[in-house]
Amino acid sequence: MKTRNIKFLSVIGVLFFFGVVIFASSCVESQKVAGKSGPQLWAENCQRCHNIPSPTAFSADQWETIGLHMQSRALLTEMEKSKIVSFLQSVNQ
Amino acid sequence: MKKGNYLLKFLLPALFLITQVTFAQQTTKKDSTISNLIVADSTLSDRLDKVEKAIAYQKKRESHFMVVGLATMGFVLSQNTQSQNGVLTKTTTNSLADADRFEFSPMLLWRHGKKLLIEFEPSWDGNSLGVNWADVSYFVRPGLIVRAGYIVLPFGIYNKRLAAGWINKLGSDPTGVSDSPPGSDFGVEIEGGLPLGSMKWSYDISLTNGMQLQNDGTLQNAGIVDNNANKTVTGRLALLPFSNSSLELGVSGMYGKVGSAASGQPDAISAMYAFDLNFVKKLGPLLVNVKGQYNQVNISSVTYKNPNDSSAYTFKNNSSSYFGQLSLRAISAPGLLKNFELAGRYVDYTTPGMSSWGSITNEYDVALDYWLSWRSVIKLVYESREVKNNTPVNLGGSLGDWNRLNNFIIQYSVQF
Repeated sequence: MKTRNIKFLSVIGVLFFFGVVIFASSCVESQKVAGKSGPQLWAENCQRCHNIPSPTAFSADQWETIGLHMQSRALLTEMEKSKIVSFLQSVNQ
Repeated sequence: MKKGNYLLKFLLPALFLITQVTFAQQTTKKDSTISNLIVADSTLSDRLDKVEKAIAYQKKRESHFMVVGLATMGFVLSQNTQSQNGVLTKTTTNSLADADRFEFSPMLLWRHGKKLLIEFEPSWDGNSLGVNWADVSYFVRPGLIVRAGYIVLPFGIYNKRLAAGWINKLGSDPTGVSDSPPGSDFGVEIEGGLPLGSMKWSYDISLTNGMQLQNDGTLQNAGIVDNNANKTVTGRLALLPFSNSSLELGVSGMYGKVGSAASGQPDAISAMYAFDLNFVKKLGPLLVNVKGQYNQVNISSVTYKNPNDSSAYTFKNNSSSYFGQLSLRAISAPGLLKNFELAGRYVDYTTPGMSSWGSITNEYDVALDYWLSWRSVIKLVYESREVKNNTPVNLGGSLGDWNRLNNFIIQYSVQF
């Protein structure tokens, strides 16, 4: 009985995982969101948790690293992370 | 004396001497000019070397290492009022470096390429050196990050995003919310943020060793060696319904076996859930910031041990905690006024009533923060925390006793 339950739960788990993957793959942003600029996304997303950082606080390379760290902390979308990091790097070049 | 003799004896040697001195001066001047040129050249060369090194440092590379982190310190004046069997006692203490909140946590970040990130954050609290997290993340594809190591559990929003001193607008962590359940564990995690039209959503799921049930019914981290063969699943789903990301609503769950055969509670499980809210928006001249989280921890009602006489007993092992926080900042105000932020918070933490650690905690906090920069702040905080004893006499408690702690805190916190 216990083994059957584990098998059943495993099947449900695998189906759920693939369901999430398929759903996630079909997720796209609206034109309104896709058209947002780096500075706009930087202002909107950073202040969700802390003050908006100064673009000159770190170098271009450092922003690349911090971008990955913040993408995983705040769960930014790939588009948001790329645009924000590009904006912050452009200020330092 | 003859004229010829005079020339030979005085004038010619004098001329010779003048010529030598002049020549010598010219040579020295010439040498000095050459020497100056060499020095100038060497200075220029040194400067060029420095510029080249600076450019090389700034140049994009495959790997990059950096150290950031945070530090929090200050002063606390505490007045503790205790009511025990109807007798009141008051004690006043003070501490530099703000003993309960002192923290120095450098964070080491190492990036390899654009997909691999290694993070390590040791932390010293003035008494012991601990580790907040130590993990490896691989950014597989947009919306999918895989992580392994000692990770922050995806349960609620506080521990993962708001606990840093320079982010927290109050002087301390909300009692219960930040430590029940414990915030970090060993395991693996998948997470990602994805668009959903004009909205956004995120998922965060971990599989970890899980918690370990103690004899008195409390939980602690199992640590690197699990206390049973089962693993704990923790997950959080969040939705940001507005295109400007101003509102985030999250729901979390944690499920796993916490007992072990050795402890005599092999079937004990814990099932927890949490709700969180985060709203940040500029409304008129004010930046309005609302944050909150509710945690519910349910553990099986198995047999526990009375710490007084080691007898067996049981109770409904459910705890709850929540906090609600509001802060306002006039970011459009002129001059220094825009650097001030006013924050208030209410915290509630209730542990099981019929247990040896039953209590009801209520806390009110207010703070006036002054932002020196975007990442450094001075806080003036007043905290009032009242803990009512909710443990029966036969379990070592004294119903009706209470303890009130009033803190005045001056705190400085910085992200570096």
